[in-house]
Amino acid sequence: MIFREVEDRDLIAKARKGEVEAYNLLVSRWEKRVFNYLLRLVSNREDALDLSQEAFLKAYQSLPKLDDPGRFGAWLFRIAHNEAFSLLRRRKPEGEMPLEKGTVSRELLPIELSLAVETALGRLSEEQREAVLLKVYQGFKFEEMAEILSCPVSTVKSRLYTALDLLKTTLAPAILRGES
Amino acid sequence: MSCEQYDWKAYALGEMTLAERREAEAHGTTCDHCRNELAHVRLTIDTLSALREEEPPRRIAFVSDKVFEPRWWQVFLRPSFAAALVVAAAILMHGYLVRPAASDAEIQARVDQAVSRAVAEVEERNVAALNAVDGKVTSLYVAATGIVRQ
Repeated sequence: MIFREVEDRDLIAKARKGEVEAYNLLVSRWEKRVFNYLLRLVSNREDALDLSQEAFLKAYQSLPKLDDPGRFGAWLFRIAHNEAFSLLRRRKPEGEMPLEKGTVSRELLPIELSLAVETALGRLSEEQREAVLLKVYQGFKFEEMAEILSCPVSTVKSRLYTALDLLKTTLAPAILRGES
Repeated sequence: MSCEQYDWKAYALGEMTLAERREAEAHGTTCDHCRNELAHVRLTIDTLSALREEEPPRRIAFVSDKVFEPRWWQVFLRPSFAAALVVAAAILMHGYLVRPAASDAEIQARVDQAVSRAVAEVEERNVAALNAVDGKVTSLYVAATGIVRQ
């Protein structure tokens, strides 16, 4: 268990009063998670960083609209999700795939298994990949994911379960090599 | 319950209630097919965790917006600045009202000046009164006062 001397809700209350430093502390707590989520979605470090900054800026501007500070995480990821898919929609007319094999620098993923996972995730659709990112890597509950993605829980489960079945097949060779 | 009714993905992802977990576990102990399915789901999820988390290339931080900082004239409205102004005014007032006393030589010079002025005024009044009586007497009086001064 991680003990936090100052809770997120305290920082949110201070940030709402205009204390920028309180918000910076809040950002420092969440930026790595948001950055990694966006990085796996858009597959580009600079884009992921730009989107992260934009998401945190919009979150700051919208803080007065946050009804329940206890749900800050899901609310923040909802904003990040909107930013990411706005970029992905802009990319698509140019015929650019959201994630290509080897788009992320190989030197960032030195372990073979990590590369295999990266590749397998890249073969999923954007919606399937996002479901995996939110559940497996960010640990959100189905209800929170439904809130972030603006869709029913049944849709969330459908995307995630399909993705897991596909990943089981795609990762099987790597898993077998790892076991041998 | 048949095997299809157990959601092993939800089990592995921690989305079951305690009661649902207990029921699924009770079935799993007696069903090789379900145990095998759960093992595959767990293996897939464990493999996904091999993906390395990355540090953001730069830290994200915000600074106070200049738009919301006070203008130059708003500085004068700050309590600290107003208090400083009051103190400065009090010092100036004190310096003006409590001036140092004059020296003895200055006092003596002022007295001499006042005496000379008073003597001159008296002489002028006397000359004017006598002019009306007789011009001759006046000249004698002038001569007499000149003698007296000598």
